[in-house]
Amino acid sequence: MTEPRLIRPPGRQGPGPIPHGLLESLDLIVKRRASGALPGDRRAIGLGSGTELAQLRPYEVGDDVRQIDAAATARTGIPHVRLHVPERTLTTWIALDLSPSMAFGTADRLKSDVAEGVTLTIGRLAIRRAGRVALMTFGAGTPRLHPPRASKPGVVALQRALEEGVAPDGHHEPGALAGALRRIGRVATQPGLVVVISDWRDEDDWTRALGALAQRHSVIAVEVRDPRESAVPAVGRLALVDPETGDRVEVDTSRRSVRDRFAQIEADRRARVARELRRLQVEHIALSTEGDWLQALGRRLS
Amino acid sequence: MTLFAISFGSPIFLLALLAVPALVMLQVANRQRGKRYAVRFTGVAALKQAAGTVPAWKRHLPVALLLAALAALALALARPERTVAVPIEKASIMLVTDHSRSMLAKDVEPDRMTAAKRAARRFLDQLPPTIRVGVTTYSDVPDGTQTPTRDHDLIQATIDAQVADGGTSTGDALQVALDTLERQEDEGERIPAAMVLLSDGATTIGRDPVGVAQLAGEQRIPIYTVALGTRNATVPNPGFGAPTLPVPPDPETLEQIADASGGRAFQAQDDQQLSEIYETLGSRLGTRDEQREVTAAFAVGGMLLLLGAGAAAMASAGRLP
Repeated sequence: MTEPRLIRPPGRQGPGPIPHGLLESLDLIVKRRASGALPGDRRAIGLGSGTELAQLRPYEVGDDVRQIDAAATARTGIPHVRLHVPERTLTTWIALDLSPSMAFGTADRLKSDVAEGVTLTIGRLAIRRAGRVALMTFGAGTPRLHPPRASKPGVVALQRALEEGVAPDGHHEPGALAGALRRIGRVATQPGLVVVISDWRDEDDWTRALGALAQRHSVIAVEVRDPRESAVPAVGRLALVDPETGDRVEVDTSRRSVRDRFAQIEADRRARVARELRRLQVEHIALSTEGDWLQALGRRLS
Repeated sequence: MTLFAISFGSPIFLLALLAVPALVMLQVANRQRGKRYAVRFTGVAALKQAAGTVPAWKRHLPVALLLAALAALALALARPERTVAVPIEKASIMLVTDHSRSMLAKDVEPDRMTAAKRAARRFLDQLPPTIRVGVTTYSDVPDGTQTPTRDHDLIQATIDAQVADGGTSTGDALQVALDTLERQEDEGERIPAAMVLLSDGATTIGRDPVGVAQLAGEQRIPIYTVALGTRNATVPNPGFGAPTLPVPPDPETLEQIADASGGRAFQAQDDQQLSEIYETLGSRLGTRDEQREVTAAFAVGGMLLLLGAGAAAMASAGRLP
């Protein structure tokens, strides 16, 4: 795999303002129990030290004597230990699509702009309460991993990675999404949160990789769409080229049959993606380049 | 064959045909350039599927028609000419017909004499009425001569009146016919002439026919010879009780006659063949090859192709090619 130089796509205008107040009202909802490396305030798997009672059970040899619960022991006459739900920090893994198809947008901004905004928003929410955030970029050669970092350095690393832009036109890499997901599965040993930000147009099969990831982690799939991708307007004859494959087509968009068929094919594709995500019990957030993506995202995160 | 025998008045203009491969290359280059002006779109694969694939021949049809039109116009520029057979207005033909006794032989259906008469009719039908036809019939001596005339019925009557009898004096008959043709003039110029000799046997009486043929050749009067009959033919001997006489044709002498005079020799074994030969001769002697310019046809063809190319391009691409 040749490594393309990343470019900042023409027409890029950034994600737009992300108001601090709005960000304050959001939080990452994690359905599964996460288990970070450090003690934190997220309920984790198993039993351990925390604030919430998990269970009281008779003392067994090897238990920590400091955990002996005096009240229960006195009540029953048998030594009991008190065990808590462990509380840990959360590690968030963001998989970000940098393929050339992301540098496309016909409404308010590019898909890559929206993806950038989502990455920053998620990153800022992720570093709260001693959380850590990692970034895996894919679609532009070998997936690049920015390892989990907490606090400000985490967000700075995200910002620096986002500054580099996306892969230039002509870089076609089917299977990049599945590759990135598999790689996250290998490096993220402790249960955490995985956010996949992509347009989900990868024609390669990613369901197995995503399914394996969803076994252990909470997964949020963010799909970035452009309104032109679901329906082409009637603007006469168009010569179009695919940014990834370089495939060229000349179509007469004034023909209703062509427009209808295109809309149908694209609707089927989106429905297929949604169906697969639902089957894998992955939370699916669809954002558009048109309108306020932050509001749409916030509605799902608050 | 004459339909495709095309020559060119100014073949230098055929170089214009080089414009066709040049245009093909230009078109290929154009396609390359078109890639730069395409709009980026992520849904190309789906759109391609939605638009469906146009068969390759349909995509290239307008350009192919345009190139064909260009080729036709380039050919028209070179002034194409077609060789056509046009009826000759002025010509004299002498039919020299043998009616010796050997013509009684029945190896040709129904007999040689009748077959010769029928073939002569076919021959006369082929000729345009402006051509003068004369006839010399002979057996022992040239006994009937009709100077060339436009009245073909009269000639037919003279031929029909023959009765088979006597010997074969081919040389004398040719001389008579030659003399007759030499006298044919029109406004001081000698009319182009030819002779058709029908004989079925060796010369038995009179002068050497090959010598006469040489004279005819000098006068540029070709003699087309037809040898009639089969090799084993016989006729009843006029003497009572005597054995039948063999009457084989003499194709060798006739061939010499044809060669000496610049004509052609034919051999007819039966009625059908004889008629065919006479028909061929009729169309050959009655017509002349002439170069006709067919530029207009090519130009019209080119224009129609051009219109077709325009229509096809409008239908498929919404613009001219």
